[in-house]
Amino acid sequence: MAKAHKINGVKPLCSYHENARIILPQKVEEVYRWEPFIRDAARREELHNMRISIKRLRYTMEIFRGVYQHPKKRSKGAPVTGAKRFAQFLAVIVDLQEILGDIHDCDVVLRVLTDYTHQPASDTEVSGSISADGKDGLAKLIDQTKETRKASYENFLEKWEQLSASGFKRKLLSFFGT
Amino acid sequence: MAAEARIAAISPDKTLETCARQIIVIYFQQMMSYKDGAKEGRDIEFVHQMRVTSRRLRAAMDNFVDCFPEKAFNKYYKKVKSITRTLGSVRDLDVLIARFEKEFVTLTEAEQADIRGLIEHLQQEHENARKPMLRLFEKLEEADFEIEFLEFFVGRVCNPDEGR
Repeated sequence: MAKAHKINGVKPLCSYHENARIILPQKVEEVYRWEPFIRDAARREELHNMRISIKRLRYTMEIFRGVYQHPKKRSKGAPVTGAKRFAQFLAVIVDLQEILGDIHDCDVVLRVLTDYTHQPASDTEVSGSISADGKDGLAKLIDQTKETRKASYENFLEKWEQLSASGFKRKLLSFFGT
Repeated sequence: MAAEARIAAISPDKTLETCARQIIVIYFQQMMSYKDGAKEGRDIEFVHQMRVTSRRLRAAMDNFVDCFPEKAFNKYYKKVKSITRTLGSVRDLDVLIARFEKEFVTLTEAEQADIRGLIEHLQQEHENARKPMLRLFEKLEEADFEIEFLEFFVGRVCNPDEGR
């Protein structure tokens, strides 16, 4: 798992509000660092790292939720509910995290099933064992999990491309900068 | 009040350093509130919630590292990291066992025989994974980690809501 990026430019003696504008954009950039790899379904490590970066962004957004809860004034004077937009952005982040979580879960399950299938008979005998002449149950689960993984990955990529086309990153950074 | 509500109620006009102390303490207290349940091991939710909160705590600490003296901060950060890691080993197996038990009922009798062996194997690994977690909790208790942590981040053991 990739380490969290060091946050630069934090000002401990300035307001929580001001520091939200320094910290949150860096968390967004950490997520997008993994974008070049995600169109290859086999890049498990990078997809996992993106999930972790999205989770860090989510938790950091939750830490700074209070900053965006008070209504602000637009230049024309119309009130904008920051809380509502914040909740919408957060919902997208949570959704992406969950889909990437499903993909990761499938990768872990596939690894466990494959490792167990290839375990020497002497090892499996200790804990109940695989039937000597067949691994039907394991093979079936492997196939099912591969299908689930494929569907989750396609779902993720479709959502990601839709978000990219709608300028999600630009909108998110703009919101955090207000 | 739940941690999320307490954090959302923090005034955005206070200094980051003041807020950082409050947030870290709120998450720390929430994380430790699950410890007894995690030790007992009857309900897998305690390990899950403790792990999730430890991750939230680490995310906060990653963001606020510049608000604290580096050496002492790193000491506490590493401890929290070790808590996440040891809980992770147990939680990952909880998830796998639950998943395979769910799949189990959808299989034929012959197929179930293969999966039964796998579940038993994972249950044994789960028992083994709990041991380092319990040892870590014991070590932290012996070292008064909880008191030390709160003394460092609050300055004294107190209610972080004070003075808000």
